[in-house]
Amino acid sequence: MDWPTFIQSISNAVILGSIYATVAVGLALAFGVMQMANFAHGEFFMAGAYVVYVFYALGGMPFPAAVISAFPVVAALGVVTERFVFRPTRGNVLAGFMATAGVAFILQVIVGQVWGVGLMRSVPTPYMGAASILGAQVSWQRLIILPSTLVMVGGLWFFLHRVKLGKALRACAQDVEAASLQGININKITALSMAISGGFAGVAGALMAPINAVTPYMGHSIIVTAFIVVIVGGMASIEGSILAAFILGFIHTFVTTLFDAVLATMAGVAFMAIILVVKPTGLLGRVRM
Amino acid sequence: MLLSVKEASVYFGKVSGIRDVSIDVEEGQIVALIGANGAGKSTTLRAISGLKQPSSGEIWFKGERIDDLSPEEITMRGIAHVPEGRRVFPYMTVKENLEMGAFSRKDKAGIARDLEGVFRHFPRLRERLTQAAGTMSGGEQQMLAMGRALMSDPTVVLMDEPSLGLSPILCQEIAKIIKEIHAEGRTVVLVEQNARLALSLAQKGYVLETGSVVLEDDAKALLENDKVRETYLGGSD
Ligand SMILES: Nc1ncnc2c1ncn2[C@@H]1O[C@H](COP(=O)(O)OP(=O)(O)OP(=O)(O)O)[C@@H](O)[C@H]1O
Ligand SMILES: [Mg+2]
Repeated sequence: MDWPTFIQSISNAVILGSIYATVAVGLALAFGVMQMANFAHGEFFMAGAYVVYVFYALGGMPFPAAVISAFPVVAALGVVTERFVFRPTRGNVLAGFMATAGVAFILQVIVGQVWGVGLMRSVPTPYMGAASILGAQVSWQRLIILPSTLVMVGGLWFFLHRVKLGKALRACAQDVEAASLQGININKITALSMAISGGFAGVAGALMAPINAVTPYMGHSIIVTAFIVVIVGGMASIEGSILAAFILGFIHTFVTTLFDAVLATMAGVAFMAIILVVKPTGLLGRVRM
Repeated sequence: MLLSVKEASVYFGKVSGIRDVSIDVEEGQIVALIGANGAGKSTTLRAISGLKQPSSGEIWFKGERIDDLSPEEITMRGIAHVPEGRRVFPYMTVKENLEMGAFSRKDKAGIARDLEGVFRHFPRLRERLTQAAGTMSGGEQQMLAMGRALMSDPTVVLMDEPSLGLSPILCQEIAKIIKEIHAEGRTVVLVEQNARLALSLAQKGYVLETGSVVLEDDAKALLENDKVRETYLGGSD
């Protein structure tokens, strides 16, 4: 690997890690509060990409506005999923799994019906050109992912640690029953966690819309990685998920560059298997929110 | 009557936790609930605070029925529950735990005053404000759980085995603080396996056995009661 390729790979890894982090943090947050895994999280990512496709590519809205719109749109999807899927199945992991897998399927079908299946929905690149970083060329389109992630993750940290409502969300993740005894409305907090979770997946999908092929099935590739990241990170740990996201970003990028994408996926799974044996509680231990 | 449990029964599937339990608590009292493991003490408190809805019977507080309310609504009406096993938020700091206790309050001045009140009862908490609650000792966690409950400025405090696992000296300390909390004008429902401690603090006591109230009387009378002495006070000393 020569020097420019090396630098190129590092920047690709960091950007890929950012996307993984944004998606996985949402998944970890929802898991932390509900103790239930959302298998439709990949479809939330897909929905965000379609928001950009519809608002920006079809509707002519400015790209940044379309990306920002993905947050409330997919957040609403998260709230609806919480109300009609997670709340009725609360505490029943198997039922929750079946139901969210069903939501994933329904979203794929709806999007396929409305905008067509199997067509690559091309979203034109809003930001042409590339920045030159230490001899590597990084497209602006990818580079903007970095500050977007920083703003979102930073904003989430501020909310969870400095705002009373955010602290209540952490309280629910740590002990739901004790939280309800403090006058915290559990249903509201669960809905809030699913709104944030959906919003994060949506914005990640929105940012990737001009880079990835936008299809009803684009959630498949991200959901597996997101679950690996969350498991390696310790299930309900935001910090652990962020760390794991960047490690996975590096593994996937470098193995793909040196070998191929299939091997990269296998390397990611192997990494998870090793962590589960060496440190079953996740990278940072059971640090919960 | 400030708080009344009227013939409440709680079932876990087919297993009963309590059957037809009736308890009356007058404003300003300390009422003790004593009984062996599995007698239904915690279940009674959990029914009052709304964590577990009774399948029959009624619970009244300040003249209103509360047995169909959610725990957060019951907390906001003035009943705080210090749960069995402390249940502090382990990854939150002492300060954040206390803040959560005041979650539904908007009166900043009142919250600040009650925080000072908590520090007066538990000076240790002031020194540990930024420590993660989960890293504190059992006694400190008990103090935090009690402090957190007081942050809602409750009319009634339900305490589930506050002395559990604490050294005799700490038990005395906790007993002293329960007296202080009572002296502030709060009503206390105290669940204890340490019957001597509970009855010496309380004005009134209930003895539970396998889910039912088998005895109720003035706390002093219960301390003298032969059956209570034999079963719960470790023989006739
Ligand atoms: N969640 C539950 N599921 C099934 N049974 C339960 C549950 N909680 C309590 N019980 C049963 O209800 C009965 C009363 O339990 P409870 O916890 O109220 O007893 P307790 O008097 O508080 O005992 P201890 O002193 O050990 O805390 C017991 O038989 C217990 O097994
Ligand atoms: Mg108990």
